[in-house]
Amino acid sequence: MGIQLKDICFSYTPASDDPLVLKNIDLTIDNGEFLILLGPSGCGKSTLLRLIAGFDHATTGSAEVDGSSIDGPGKDRGMVFQDLDSSLFQWLTVRQNVEFGLKVNRIEAGERKERANDALRMVNLTDHDHKFPDALSGGMKQRVQIARMLAMRPNIMLMDEPFAALDAQTRQMLQRQLVSIWSEVKRTAIYVTHDIREAINLGQRIVLMTAGPEAAIKREYAVPLEYPRDQSDQVYIDLLQTISKDIEEEVTKVWS
Amino acid sequence: MTRSPFNKTILGGRIGRSFWISTVSISCGLVAWEIAARLWIDPFFLPPVSTVFLGIIELIERGLLFGTIGISLYRILAGFLLGSIVAIPIGLIVGISITARAIFDPYVHFLRFIPALALTSLFLVWFGVGEVAKILQVMYATAFIVIVNTATGVVTTHENKILAAQTLGASPWQIFWLVTIPACIPSIYVGMRLALAGSFMVIVAVEMLAAESGLGYLIWTSKVYFKIDWMFVGIFFLGALGLLADYLWKMFGRFAIRRFVRESADY
Ligand SMILES: Nc1ncnc2c1ncn2[C@@H]1O[C@H](COP(=O)(O)OP(=O)(O)OP(=O)(O)O)[C@@H](O)[C@H]1O
Ligand SMILES: [Mg+2]
Repeated sequence: MGIQLKDICFSYTPASDDPLVLKNIDLTIDNGEFLILLGPSGCGKSTLLRLIAGFDHATTGSAEVDGSSIDGPGKDRGMVFQDLDSSLFQWLTVRQNVEFGLKVNRIEAGERKERANDALRMVNLTDHDHKFPDALSGGMKQRVQIARMLAMRPNIMLMDEPFAALDAQTRQMLQRQLVSIWSEVKRTAIYVTHDIREAINLGQRIVLMTAGPEAAIKREYAVPLEYPRDQSDQVYIDLLQTISKDIEEEVTKVWS
Repeated sequence: MTRSPFNKTILGGRIGRSFWISTVSISCGLVAWEIAARLWIDPFFLPPVSTVFLGIIELIERGLLFGTIGISLYRILAGFLLGSIVAIPIGLIVGISITARAIFDPYVHFLRFIPALALTSLFLVWFGVGEVAKILQVMYATAFIVIVNTATGVVTTHENKILAAQTLGASPWQIFWLVTIPACIPSIYVGMRLALAGSFMVIVAVEMLAAESGLGYLIWTSKVYFKIDWMFVGIFFLGALGLLADYLWKMFGRFAIRRFVRESADY
C-alpha cells in the first residue's frame, strides 16, 4: 500500500505541443516512509507533489493512495507550502489557524483543543498561539503551517521546500524538529528540496529527478544512517559526493 | 506599517505627535485664511473665516443648518450602505463564478462608466422628486466601485489559501465563507472608503440639480442670492463631514475589524 505513481506524464498545457513537464514517472512510496524529492530547479518537483496532493491531475498514468486513485485534495494528505505567507489565514491567530481544519470538520471543542495543543507543542509554538501570522518570523510561520497540518493527523505529509526561504541556522533547527515530529507521528512524509544536505539530513530515501522538460526519475538513494545524521560520517560524505555529481550532470545538461 | 504606537488614533487615549501637528497645521491654515481674506483678497470672492463662522451662526438661528446637514447625511449614508449591501454579494459572485462574470460583467462595465449625474433627470422622471431618486443615485455611484473592488479582492485571493483549506477538508461552501470572504475584506473595505467619497460628490450635484434641501441646495441657492458666506458654510461642512466620515471609517477598520483589514486601515 502507500502511494503508487504509475507511468505518470504531465503537462500544464496538454492541448499544445510543448514538451511534457513530467514523463513516465514510476514511484512507490511506502507507508511511514520519509521520502525526499530532489532535483534541479524547475525540473518539476512541485508539480509532482501537486499531483499527489490532488491539486493537478496526471495527463496520463495513474496516481493512487492505498489503492484508490487521487482525484482532488483530501484531508488524508496535508500540505506545507514553500511560500511563507500566502497559505496562512492572516485574519486568524496561530491557534485559530491550527484549529481551522478541525473546526471545518466539526471536531468537538474538547478534542479540538487537545489536538491543537499537541500540534503547537510539537512545533514549539505554544507560547505564541495568540499571535497573528504577520507578527511571526519566517521560521515560525512555517511551523504554523506544519502545526496546522499535524492537527489534522493526515496519513501523508507533503512539504514543498518549506524551509527554503529561511536562514541556515533556522533551517537546521527546523530540520531537526521535523525529524523528531516525524518519528513521533509515524506518518508518510514527502519532502521536496533542491538542497542535497537537507535531503540527506531528513530522508530515508532520496529520489533524484532529471532536469526538465520531460523530467523523469534519474536515480534513488537509500540513506542508511541513524537520526540525527552525522555530517562527518563517511557514508554521509560519500552520499553527498555521489548525489552532487549526479545533480551536476543534470544541471550541465540544461546549461550546455 | 503595522505597529507604530502613534499615528493610530486621537481617540485611543494615546494622543500621538501627529495629532498635535495636525492641530497646529489646521490652526495655521485658518489664521492664514483669515489674514489673507482681510488684507489681500476681496471678501466677495473669499470671505474671512470669521464671516463664515457668523454665517454658520445665522443658519443655526434660522433653523436651517442642522436640517440641511441632516438631510444630506441621510441621503449619503442610506445610499452608501444600501449600495454596498447590493454590491458586495454581486462582487463576490462575479469574482467567484466565471459564468456569473460573463452574465454581469457587460452590464457592470457599461453602467459604471455612465456618471450618476448623467442620470439625474432620468431618475427624476422615473422615481419622482422624493428621496428615492436621490438615494438610488448615491447607491448607483457607490455600487460599481464596491463591486469592482470586491470582485478584485476575490480573484486576487491567493490560490494557496484555497488549496490549504481544501487539504484541511473544507467544503466549497466553507471555503467561501471562511476563506474567500475574510480574504477579500481589505478590498471591500478600501472600495467602500472610495465609494464614500464618491457618494458625497454625487449627492451634492444631485441636490444642486434636483432638490429643495441639503448642502448642495444650500450652495446652489447661495449663489443665486449672492450669499457667498453661506456658500462657504456649505462647502466647509462637506469637507468637515467627509473628513469625519472617513476618520470614523478608518477607526472602524483599525479597531473593529483590524484582524481582517490590517494595513489597509493604516492610511
Ligand atoms: N502553473 C503553471 N503553468 C504552466 N507551467 C508551469 C506551471 N507551474 C510550473 N510550470 C512549469 O513546469 C515546470 C516544473 O515546475 P515546478 O514548479 O514543478 O519545478 P520545481 O522543480 O518545483 O522548481 P523549483 O525548485 O524552482 O521550485 C517548469 O518548467 C515550470 O515552468
Ligand atoms: Mg518548486
